[in-house]
Amino acid sequence: MMLSRVAENLYWMARYLERAENTARFINSTTQVLLDLPRGASFGWDVLLKAAGLDALYDEHYGQPNEADIMRFLILDERNPSSIVASIHSARENTRTFREVLPMEMWERINGLYLYIRDHAARAARGRGPRWEVLNGVIERRQSIIGLLTGSMSHDLAYQFLKLGRNVERADMTTRILDVNSAVRLPSDTTAPETARERLWMSTLNGLSAYQMYRLHVGVHVSGPAVLRFLLADPHFPRSVSHCLGEIENCLCDLVNYEEPLKVARYAWKRLDGERLDDLTAENLHDRLDQMQGDLAELHTAISRQYFHLHQQSALPEQTLSQ
Amino acid sequence: MNSLIAHYPSTEFFDELVDGERRPRPAARTLFQHLEALDAAGLDERREAVNAAIMTMGITFTVYSEAGNIDRAWPFDIIPRVLSRREWTRIEEGLKQRLTALNLFIDDLYNEQRIVRDGVFPLEVLEGSRNFRAQCKGITPRFGVWAHVCGTDLVRDKDGTVYVLEDNLRVPSGVSYMLENRQLMKRLFPDLFRASDILPVDDYPARLHDTLAALSPRTGLRPVVVVLTPGIYNSAYFEHSYLAQKMGAFLVEGSDLVVGEDDCVYMKTVSGLRRVDVIYRRIDDDFLDPEAFRPDSALGVKGLMRAWRAGNVGIANAPGAGVADDKVVYAFVPKVIQYYLDQEPIIPNVPSYLCMYEKDKEYVLANLDKLVVKPANESGGYGMLIGPRATPEERKQFAELIQANPRNYMAQPTLALSTAPTLVDHHLEPRHLDLRPFILQSDRLYCTTGGLTRVAMKSGSLVVNSSQGGGAKDTWIVDMGEGEE
Repeated sequence: MMLSRVAENLYWMARYLERAENTARFINSTTQVLLDLPRGASFGWDVLLKAAGLDALYDEHYGQPNEADIMRFLILDERNPSSIVASIHSARENTRTFREVLPMEMWERINGLYLYIRDHAARAARGRGPRWEVLNGVIERRQSIIGLLTGSMSHDLAYQFLKLGRNVERADMTTRILDVNSAVRLPSDTTAPETARERLWMSTLNGLSAYQMYRLHVGVHVSGPAVLRFLLADPHFPRSVSHCLGEIENCLCDLVNYEEPLKVARYAWKRLDGERLDDLTAENLHDRLDQMQGDLAELHTAISRQYFHLHQQSALPEQTLSQ
Repeated sequence: MNSLIAHYPSTEFFDELVDGERRPRPAARTLFQHLEALDAAGLDERREAVNAAIMTMGITFTVYSEAGNIDRAWPFDIIPRVLSRREWTRIEEGLKQRLTALNLFIDDLYNEQRIVRDGVFPLEVLEGSRNFRAQCKGITPRFGVWAHVCGTDLVRDKDGTVYVLEDNLRVPSGVSYMLENRQLMKRLFPDLFRASDILPVDDYPARLHDTLAALSPRTGLRPVVVVLTPGIYNSAYFEHSYLAQKMGAFLVEGSDLVVGEDDCVYMKTVSGLRRVDVIYRRIDDDFLDPEAFRPDSALGVKGLMRAWRAGNVGIANAPGAGVADDKVVYAFVPKVIQYYLDQEPIIPNVPSYLCMYEKDKEYVLANLDKLVVKPANESGGYGMLIGPRATPEERKQFAELIQANPRNYMAQPTLALSTAPTLVDHHLEPRHLDLRPFILQSDRLYCTTGGLTRVAMKSGSLVVNSSQGGGAKDTWIVDMGEGEE
């Protein structure tokens, strides 16, 4: 038996932590993409904001997009609830409300992550060198938290809600990281545009720690369609959208009354499965990714309706009252 | 000669560990033998270890005025406060006697009011009590018990007499710190626990659970017990979470609960609504149910009083139990004990002057510089005047407050609170302290073994509340076998 509020806090805590880690990955991989671009290729940092869905919020607080401001906004601005600092802060505050259902060291680890980013965020926003190093520190600490959960937490209800939140957020972030590539326009006179594209996709793989697994399971050559297939539809790579949807399905089946959210999860998976990935072009990729994000948002709504806000309609279901 | 004691100053106060000739009291002898073996560096080392353990164990408390920085590490002193089992047994009896009488008293006030009709307890005190809840009239909770958890503050005066300073019958806190203090000490001085017979304290969560479970309206089933907290910004949130965890109860907020058309309480879970049998509430009456009390309360549960009145849920402490947690009512407790139990109080009250009586008021106003003045309904040391330490300005202000609302004030002589050695910058110094044992009552009575010793960390200070710079010590009840002392 688990309180809806506690389940929701667990779910969000996992989402916040995943978001922080992925934003760090997102920034690092984009920086790599940028370094690999041929001179003259058009690519603005604002692409990052659009891909993250944060362009409107940015415009409210900042002027013309530039690297320094965007980094400040994505890394440490607490007015942006998705910034790394804000996400980790929210995860930490959430954790206070359910310390009793987590392994003992969990609070210390999350607190440690928070103190780390609080102390180093300003340095990360300052320049590309320290940025890479600090963001990597975030990724490492987050990974150690996942390790702690996997190794020392019973696979109980609390665990399932953590895992749900993690996978919903992860799938969403993978589509957003892919979206950055769709925005790059190579100049028409690029020599060897194929090679340039290849390098871009390689950076994306690197950003998701996926390059080695890609080489192992797909091949040495990096091509757009193959990378998309790997990151969207590979059943075994833990950051692929398909894998995340599979994990979500497993979690749901361990819960009660999962029919509604499961239906939505399966619908998202079916759409992805039916997608003719080879036909995706730089032109239509963005729209397809947008659609996947929409499906994931639906899934989130279905999960919260079923488990977190079931009782908000105030009508008390009869079957529970008469038990 | 013990070097630690050799440098321990003698004072005009009663010291808990050291007698007039600066010798360890019998119950503290083993402790001092061990302390003696530690030099200043050794003591410091232990203290460092304690501080590290406090951080790791996450023992924190919150201060109301520091909303921005909600966690504070628990201020803990590593020198325990020691009492002999013989003395403790008598105190324990006194505490149980007191709570038994108080519960009879509360039940009478909400029903026949015999004690008023018999002229023992004045009607005007009852009418002036802010914590009397008309909504509770005519109700008799299970076992006739209203205050299931009571935290009673004890102090010791110069001559060694232990007095009851006040009874906390609303939502007394501190018991989690009592338990954590012992955990810390066992980590720190395992040898000591082997060498002397220190009675354990850790059965409290199980006893609390049993006390609560006995209130379940659905007998025969394993009751669903919840701890109702105002949330993470409350100063005692650590304790709420701690007790829920130790009892295997659910930690809930008001918004997690709902009262159904059937007047039963349900909690919102991921698998639907689940019936709740017993609520250990850690929020004040005022906020408990917007339907019955403050309509603007966002912390409570609408319809909770209905459910309780219908007998569908147990609530501890019962709404309205605070009527006996009033510093003016306090003055009548010795009479209350005599009236209901026909016994003399085992632990005396501190002599009190009630400003509602003209003669007492005149005395108080004339002696403000010697007295401690307390408002009837505040807790946590708020709104008090410590006469001897107050400025003439403050005393004047208080005189006006008393004139304006005499029923709301009582005064007591400033007690010479006892002291105990406390580690201050590498050596021991005397610091004033009190003791808060916790007493449970439902189908049976239970009293903690010892309680929470709170200590004023500032030299000469009498304020022991953690919200105002107080700290804590582990409290040892030591069994010395037959013929002790």
